[in-house]
Amino acid sequence: MSRTDPLVIAGREFRSRLITGSGKYSSFAVMRDAALASGCEMLTVAVRRVEFDTPGEDITAYVPDDVLLLPNTSGAETAEEAVRMARLARAGGLPDWVKLEVIPDPRYLLPDPVETLRAAATLVEDGFTVLPYMLPDPVLARRLAEVGCATVMPLAAPIGSGWGLKLRETIEIMVEERIVPVVVDAGLGAPSHAAAAMELGADAVLVNTAIATADDPVAMARAFRLAVEAGRAARLAGLIEERATAEPSSPLAGVITKA
Amino acid sequence: MISVVVNGREQELEAGETVARLLERLGFTARYALVERNGEPVERARYAELALEEGDTLVVARPVAGG
Repeated sequence: MSRTDPLVIAGREFRSRLITGSGKYSSFAVMRDAALASGCEMLTVAVRRVEFDTPGEDITAYVPDDVLLLPNTSGAETAEEAVRMARLARAGGLPDWVKLEVIPDPRYLLPDPVETLRAAATLVEDGFTVLPYMLPDPVLARRLAEVGCATVMPLAAPIGSGWGLKLRETIEIMVEERIVPVVVDAGLGAPSHAAAAMELGADAVLVNTAIATADDPVAMARAFRLAVEAGRAARLAGLIEERATAEPSSPLAGVITKA
Repeated sequence: MISVVVNGREQELEAGETVARLLERLGFTARYALVERNGEPVERARYAELALEEGDTLVVARPVAGG
């Protein structure tokens, strides 16, 4: 399936429709093994100041070959801060792809749509491939696509909440009106949530907490990979319409106890 | 000697020291060092040639785990 059904973002083909985050793992080695088990071809990283007294290990040394590093702008509360972070990352040699996050609200970590749109326009103009994190809003999705974003990344539920597809209906409208790939990001707590997102027509999902903080992150990474593949296959296969009543699967005629 | 500020901390350097030399002096050898000088990002290709000046304020960042 994957060979004939690539995910295409900004002209680049991906076989995997599962993007993972690198946060919250117990160690970089576990992160690496989980990334491999997930089959992901894109992995997010954050950008932070170096603590020279305790530099610790280099996470990029643990990123599997051929996996595209996707720097995020986490920590940015305004468009200007996000643009500054993205430019710093690119100048320092990281890819010019950016997961754009502008989040002023620490309790629910909901993105600021106005600042996100402003930052997206600036970054696209500056040559970045922009993947913006957003509340599922079909109108905002259109605006983000119009300024040149490569995807839209609606949240299913607040980051790290594990609530699943709470904002399903608006994500469905975004899929229906899809201009650029729709990547469901954040809040997915279980592989079944990821499968459901793919079944409703999402192009990909991004998962971090549900894998990284599972008892066995590597096994959970594999479970998410399978779920994403299953959900995508089901979407392509065509799901049946729901019915109000039962519909027998066996013939009604010729029942042996009936004349 | 000149004095610059790196991630909020004052640092003494020889006059004419480059960004690359500063990173070496700080013992930072990770694959990606992201450098901002006086609010402007510095292209990695310039680390070896860009000489720092008295009073420069630098931010040195790196990729870390994140979602």
